[in-house]
Amino acid sequence: MLYLKELTEIGGVSGDESRVRDFIASKIKDKVDETHVDKLGNLIALKKGKKNGKRFLLTAHMDEIGFMVTNIEDDGTLSFSPIGGVDPRVVPGKRVKIADKVTGVIGYKAIHLQKKEEIFKVPAFENLRIYIGTDSKEASSKLVNIGDSVVFTTEYREENGKATGKAFDDRAGCSVMMDLIDNIDRYDFDVYFAFLVQEEVGLRGSAVIAEQIQPDVAIVLEGTTAGDNPEVPEYKWATHIGDGPAVTFMHRGYVVSSKVVQNIMSIAQKNGIPYQAKRRTAGGTDAARLAGTWRGVPSGVISVPSRYIHSPVSMIDLNDYHNTVRLVEKILDEGEVFFK
Amino acid sequence: MIETIRKLAEAYGPSGREEDVHRIVLEELKNHIDGYKFDRVGNLIVWKDGKSGKKVMLDAHSDEIGLVVTNIDKNGFLRVETVGGVPPHPYVGQRVKFPQCTGIVYVEGETSQDMKKNFSNLSFDVMYVDIGASSYEEAQKVAPIGTFGVYDSRFMQNGDFLTSKAMDDRVGCAVVIEVLKRLNSPNNTVYCSFSTQEEIGLMGARVAGYDIMPEACIAIDVTASSDTPKAFKRHAMVLKKGPAIKVKDRASISDRKIVDKLIELAEESGIPYQMEVLIMGGTNAAAFQATASGIASATVSIPTRYVHTPSETVHLDDIKNCVNLLIEYVQKGV
Repeated sequence: MLYLKELTEIGGVSGDESRVRDFIASKIKDKVDETHVDKLGNLIALKKGKKNGKRFLLTAHMDEIGFMVTNIEDDGTLSFSPIGGVDPRVVPGKRVKIADKVTGVIGYKAIHLQKKEEIFKVPAFENLRIYIGTDSKEASSKLVNIGDSVVFTTEYREENGKATGKAFDDRAGCSVMMDLIDNIDRYDFDVYFAFLVQEEVGLRGSAVIAEQIQPDVAIVLEGTTAGDNPEVPEYKWATHIGDGPAVTFMHRGYVVSSKVVQNIMSIAQKNGIPYQAKRRTAGGTDAARLAGTWRGVPSGVISVPSRYIHSPVSMIDLNDYHNTVRLVEKILDEGEVFFK
Repeated sequence: MIETIRKLAEAYGPSGREEDVHRIVLEELKNHIDGYKFDRVGNLIVWKDGKSGKKVMLDAHSDEIGLVVTNIDKNGFLRVETVGGVPPHPYVGQRVKFPQCTGIVYVEGETSQDMKKNFSNLSFDVMYVDIGASSYEEAQKVAPIGTFGVYDSRFMQNGDFLTSKAMDDRVGCAVVIEVLKRLNSPNNTVYCSFSTQEEIGLMGARVAGYDIMPEACIAIDVTASSDTPKAFKRHAMVLKKGPAIKVKDRASISDRKIVDKLIELAEESGIPYQMEVLIMGGTNAAAFQATASGIASATVSIPTRYVHTPSETVHLDDIKNCVNLLIEYVQKGV
């Protein structure tokens, strides 16, 4: 797990993934046979097979949720709007970085000035501003531009076998793929690694992947919702951190091929790797795009369960992370079963 | 043909689990087609060779709406989420059929006030399924998390009104089967897709369309009807008036040339038909139009009462006339 800290601390809102992509490319380029960046900005790496033939695709998306500057106000503050699904309740009072260079604070009326009934109201994005320490439009315009991306600035930490940080959705998946690139041998079949753009705004990067790579099977690696908060009854949890990688049987727009699900689960069982079924069907992943474009790629989804995703800070269990790497490695070791 | 409809409608086939339906389709068609294949997302595609060198395609989706087990509590009760647009109301007190067991769906509530509230804001969040299990382990054996279920409902005939779950879209599958059975030496090569995962987002059709790239494609699906007490006023479709030639729904606008040709052929052959503008909904035509470099597509619908309930009701006349119209189209339309 050499890269997770750095990966999560890089800013990479949908459409502005270049820093994440450059970081990944610099670390993997000497360990794979080919890398290229496609027209949409997806980074695709190939580890060639020993025999010519089948293609196994692994994907993770590089982008994260965040914001974009929509206007610079006369008082120097910045209006902004969300990119991807951001819960407005977790936004005020956070430190952010604009265009990877300017630090700002998302402000809101101080508690002293609010009426009782105001405090519990969710602020609308139109009533929030980013302060960057200037007091005029002119001064702000020298530092930032309309259209600049805005990210939370959470540092990564490990404690008690858990990691906290931002953007585990889906830098966890990127990190799993990078670990695999470091560790795996050459297989009989080609292994493609696609680091994708613009997942959070509607599975856009993955829309051009199937036809480009023409894989026989794909596994999408994700950081997914845990939803195992104490106030939620256990029978409504999506996953539980610490119970192992989550295997998806269905999500928005796609029922995962039952053969793919069976293969994943039996490989986990055979190798004594804990896993859990993802127990809610809301939300979608790039698997829906891969299955529904070109001639259709049977696609599975394996996720690192993550608490409080789409917020400034989320939490994963490091055992889940390591077990995800192990599971995907075993899946590649037994990759031939996916081609039958 | 009624027996074929019954078999197809009663078969188990929620989105992603269409194998049983495909098996029945192939049994029906084995002596009537020149070839078939299953593609990589499970679509069944069959064809009958023609002479013109042109390809025309008919599509009916093989999946139906359903429920999927997402959680099991310690006492063996299941929690479910929907597969496709499943209304919660028909499920109150209804049975749900899983491959290895059958369950009863009901609503939770600890006080009469709770009950009242849960019934008026009914959602699967406050519903559970009882499969007669007494523990998590017992339930997990027969209906593990990820098990798909469908309405437990039998086919019924009232005169020429036919009722069952999953008329959406097994009646379409039956129409396509009948067209193929009656089509002798077609002019154009006819491809038919029995496509998967329509109900959760037109998944299979995108791939089937990309694969075949026909000159034209017609999706055969069910549509709403307005001939019941205080039914939706803005819809014109009714049962017994013939197949509905769709102009528009929320997902697609039918190719105008296909629409005009269908009207022309119906008029010429004296086949009753009606025009359809559906304010909600969508069919695989939307997927065909937007896949690869685009396919000219339209929808011909069977007007249906009680869509997405265990008692979807259609009329035999509409089905027969739909078959007649489609035969005309595949022979003369392109």
